[in-house]
Amino acid sequence: MKRIIKLTINGKPVETAVSPNQTLLQFLRDDMNLTGTKHGCGLGDCGACTVILDGKAVNSCLVLAIQADNSEILTIEGLAQDGKLHPIQQSFVDKGAIQCGFCTPGMILSAKALLDQKPNPSELEIRTALSGNLCRCTGYQKIVEAIGEAAEVIRMREES
Amino acid sequence: MLLPKFYYHEPATLEEALRLLSEMGGAARILAGGTDVLVRMKLKIDKPSHLISLQKIPGIDVIIQRENHGVTIGAAVTAAELSTNELILERFAPIGIAASRLGAPGIRNRATIGGNLVNARPAADLSPACMALDATLKLKSAKNEREVRVNDFFRGPGETLIEPNEMLVSIFVETPPPWSGGAYIKLGARKALEISMVNVAVLLTLQSQDGPIADVKIALGAVAPTPVRAFAAEEFLVGKQPSSELFKEAGAIGVGMCEPITDHRGTMEYRCLMIETLTSRALNQAYNNAINWKPLPV
Ligand SMILES: Cc1cc2nc3c(=O)[nH]c(=O)nc-3n(C[C@H](O)[C@H](O)[C@H](O)COP(=O)(O)OP(=O)(O)OC[C@H]3O[C@@H](n4cnc5c(N)ncnc54)[C@H](O)[C@@H]3O)c2cc1C
Ligand code: FES
Ligand code: FES
Repeated sequence: MKRIIKLTINGKPVETAVSPNQTLLQFLRDDMNLTGTKHGCGLGDCGACTVILDGKAVNSCLVLAIQADNSEILTIEGLAQDGKLHPIQQSFVDKGAIQCGFCTPGMILSAKALLDQKPNPSELEIRTALSGNLCRCTGYQKIVEAIGEAAEVIRMREES
Repeated sequence: MLLPKFYYHEPATLEEALRLLSEMGGAARILAGGTDVLVRMKLKIDKPSHLISLQKIPGIDVIIQRENHGVTIGAAVTAAELSTNELILERFAPIGIAASRLGAPGIRNRATIGGNLVNARPAADLSPACMALDATLKLKSAKNEREVRVNDFFRGPGETLIEPNEMLVSIFVETPPPWSGGAYIKLGARKALEISMVNVAVLLTLQSQDGPIADVKIALGAVAPTPVRAFAAEEFLVGKQPSSELFKEAGAIGVGMCEPITDHRGTMEYRCLMIETLTSRALNQAYNNAINWKPLPV
């Protein structure tokens, strides 16, 4: 039996009916057409489906849409502001931290959740934050560097 | 990966959750963080027709300090919360460290201590940590309430003393006495998202800062069908003056307890070697923490 849920997705209020067996990932991709969030393993192993739920990075393939009732969700589509990429997105582009791009939305949201908590993370903290996000292409090094650089940009922006 | 159909319940009180559980018995599962049960349902290993969510139940996800004598951890407290809670890290370190090693950040933000214990995987991170701290579990059904020591709780892979109509409500841990120190070491092939090959939790208490060992508990995971206490090694240590040679001997005795298996994560021989090394390493770490014990600031 479908149920009505109310939530905020990328700042916009949404009210809609979902089935109990719909994951948050399916709901975002199929019902909301937010296909930036990727479906990799479906089992919590790869991190491609990472979104931010009430400030915390989660694997949306292991959360029921119904459980997201009353929550606030941020997906990759909600990061850019007024057509301008978020500093983390920009430094992924600048640093060449994207190859096929399949892991990128999840990587960037894991990084966002980290920088919201720790604006000045160590390399180890960055690597720990990404430890649930697999990348088949880049070898991770450029991703780690991109996040370090984005952290600096954000800090400088907030100081000025 | 699609989830099969099921009925979803979101009780607003513990009483209502327990009533649903007793009405539906074996056809229902508790949904805590979902990081085990949803995976099992997707893989069709488990097919409950009802899921009872803990999300709306008040107070089941909080950590409560009991004056100076202990802490009560709600069953739905997440690994992320345990791994950052100052009281847990200071006084109940094996639980805090084990929680910080469970899965990856996205998993830790959902995974609960209750789910980890009830799931009863031989390699689970929080089970040996709770065993080294001699935790007590509060189990409730619609009609009954009982307390079970975590050391008696595990019966086999995926099997515990919990009945289908019971819920794990909270975990109580007594505050270790002064001059206690804890440690937790997990060995996997990579640093994150790895089921342990061997994990060791230790709580060591000295009679005084430079005194002999008053008490010690050593729990090992992934070495037998359930996590186990290394009783022989514990007995060997009590009353003796701590030293790294002594801890090395204790490690060798610890291996006696184990029936590790050979699988793709490691051979039996390698596991035995690692049990010995990690047990003595964990004892050394716990000892260092014990001699640096400090009263909590008030
Ligand atoms: C990618 C990935 C990596 C993982 N890595 C690790 C790891 O490194 N170490 C590790 O130990 N585990 C790991 N796990 C397993 C899992 O995340 C943990 O066991 C977690 O603690 C389970 O908690 P949960 O709240 O998600 O449980 P759920 O999935 O919600 O529940 C698990 C089981 O326990 C029952 N249950 C839950 N709460 C209660 C309760 N209060 N009373 C009665 N029954 C209850 C449920 O009905 C279900 O049968 C991993 C899982 C994934 C998907
Ligand atoms: S799709 Fe969710 S973790 Fe892989
Ligand atoms: S860029 Fe291809 S998976 Fe990471």
